[in-house]
Amino acid sequence: MTTEDSHTSPNRLFDATSVTRHNRFLQRLAIAGAIILACGVAFAAERVWSNLLVGTFYLLTIALGGALFVALTYVSGGGWHVAFRRIPEAMAKVLPVAGIAMLIVLGVRMSRYGWHHDWHGDAGTFWFKELWLTPSFWALRAVIYVSLWSLLAGWLVARSRRQDKTSDAAITGGNVRIAALFLAVYAVTFSLASADWMMALEPMWFSTMWGVYNFAGMIQAALAVMIILGLILRSHDGPLRGVFNDEHLHDLGKLLLGFSCFWMYIWFSQYMLIWYSNIPEETSYFITRTHGPWGPVVVGSIVLNWVVPFFVLLPKPAKRNAGIMMKVAVVVLIGRWVDLYVMVFPSTLGETPVFGVWEVASISCLLGAAGLMLFRSFAQAPPVPRHDPLLSESLHYHAG
Amino acid sequence: MSDRVLLATFEHEDDLLAATDAVRRGGFEIVDAFTPYAVHGLERAMGLRPSRLTWVCFLCGMTGALGMLWFEHWTASIDWQLDVGGKPWNSLPSDVPVAFEAAVLLAGFGSVFALFAVSRLFPGKQPQIIDPRITDDRFVLVIDEANAAFDAAAVRSMLQEFHVLAVEERVTTPGGELQ
Repeated sequence: MTTEDSHTSPNRLFDATSVTRHNRFLQRLAIAGAIILACGVAFAAERVWSNLLVGTFYLLTIALGGALFVALTYVSGGGWHVAFRRIPEAMAKVLPVAGIAMLIVLGVRMSRYGWHHDWHGDAGTFWFKELWLTPSFWALRAVIYVSLWSLLAGWLVARSRRQDKTSDAAITGGNVRIAALFLAVYAVTFSLASADWMMALEPMWFSTMWGVYNFAGMIQAALAVMIILGLILRSHDGPLRGVFNDEHLHDLGKLLLGFSCFWMYIWFSQYMLIWYSNIPEETSYFITRTHGPWGPVVVGSIVLNWVVPFFVLLPKPAKRNAGIMMKVAVVVLIGRWVDLYVMVFPSTLGETPVFGVWEVASISCLLGAAGLMLFRSFAQAPPVPRHDPLLSESLHYHAG
Repeated sequence: MSDRVLLATFEHEDDLLAATDAVRRGGFEIVDAFTPYAVHGLERAMGLRPSRLTWVCFLCGMTGALGMLWFEHWTASIDWQLDVGGKPWNSLPSDVPVAFEAAVLLAGFGSVFALFAVSRLFPGKQPQIIDPRITDDRFVLVIDEANAAFDAAAVRSMLQEFHVLAVEERVTTPGGELQ
């Protein structure tokens, strides 16, 4: 098969000079952002830390979203995605680095997460919350989450890459079982992690929809990243040219449309329950975010995450159009940042939105570092899982 | 459409796809194609226009959402003002779930009934199956003979290239049904 012969060189992506140039640009973005943020520690430590929290959680959830996509498609027996599965696999391989970055960012400001800050008061009815947020237990959980995700996702991807060499079809069956284990672990740990790291910024506030709300944003952003990487890797003489086709793009577009609606559905479900019952300890979160200067930012996140993808991606031709899909995916990724910004900044920096040099620097650092890591991770393995038993199905797939 | 059509029967979907494409490119009018299951790419081979059902679905959904929002607003804050938990009469968040459900309901029913209407499906309709095996393992392409360019011999020889199993002429009823 021609696709197999011409797309097996692992480093082809980095041979082209244009790609080297892009790489250098990403490197500069990352380094410039990192230097500015390092200087910022002296001037605006809390703001730099908030930016780092948003950035590392953004990167970590994209990596985790890639692993989730791989695991879901193994468990559901999907074949349509196999031709471009190396993209979500590359995202999953970023997990250890993203996880360590997350642990460092959390570690430097662990004191930020106390349910009350002096640790000597009477916990009263909140005895469980105090127990749960005990610093050593809280830190231990963070290490366990990150280790479990990295190990299971790494195992899944390593076996998939081994299949390229051994052409052993039994690896696929084994991966279905590992993927099922990953999904079970993921469902519990990610829900807890999002509560530990994001919800506990306001320790007295709680929402039982927080886990699924974070899941929705995570999978939506991961799909957008997959679309962007797929379109970049198939353009010009990219390694997925002729492999990642309009049928795959169409299906990713359907999923992005669906999960944009899912994000909106979950966002509104959380909002409406709190608005309806109107209990002060629950409404505190939304009063800060919907009354006053944060209001327009929240509206902006809804426009970017749902209104734009919903109305643009509804018609079938839009989902098969590379230009439109690229733009919508970029809009969704901006929306994801704004969504996390609205989760974190009102809790850490108060009632007025701030956007300036530190935010630009952190976005630049995130973009550069994520781009570099994802392309490098993709180049580690042959771009197509050539011996996956479902590859042929994927190459001849029709999305309808 | 004339009252005379040509039925070409195939054994494999690839043959049907290729023959459909060739017949359409040859300038003949394709009446329909009958297959035991949905054949991917057939709508492209037949040169069908994009379905207009999506617009029916979208417009019905918008009608449901906006209509229900207006109705909830009218009932709860204009016609008979309701105080629910001290909330303002005109409380948009409480209207959204019902508006959403109405959008889904109308979009779903609208699409299904629009499909029934355009394909003239109704309860008690007698099915007109041109060949029982199209429900099993045969693929039938129906070509219109009205076209001035229609040359039965030429069409037959063209279809031979695609391993046609049988070619048969039929006459349609005034209602356009195949007999």
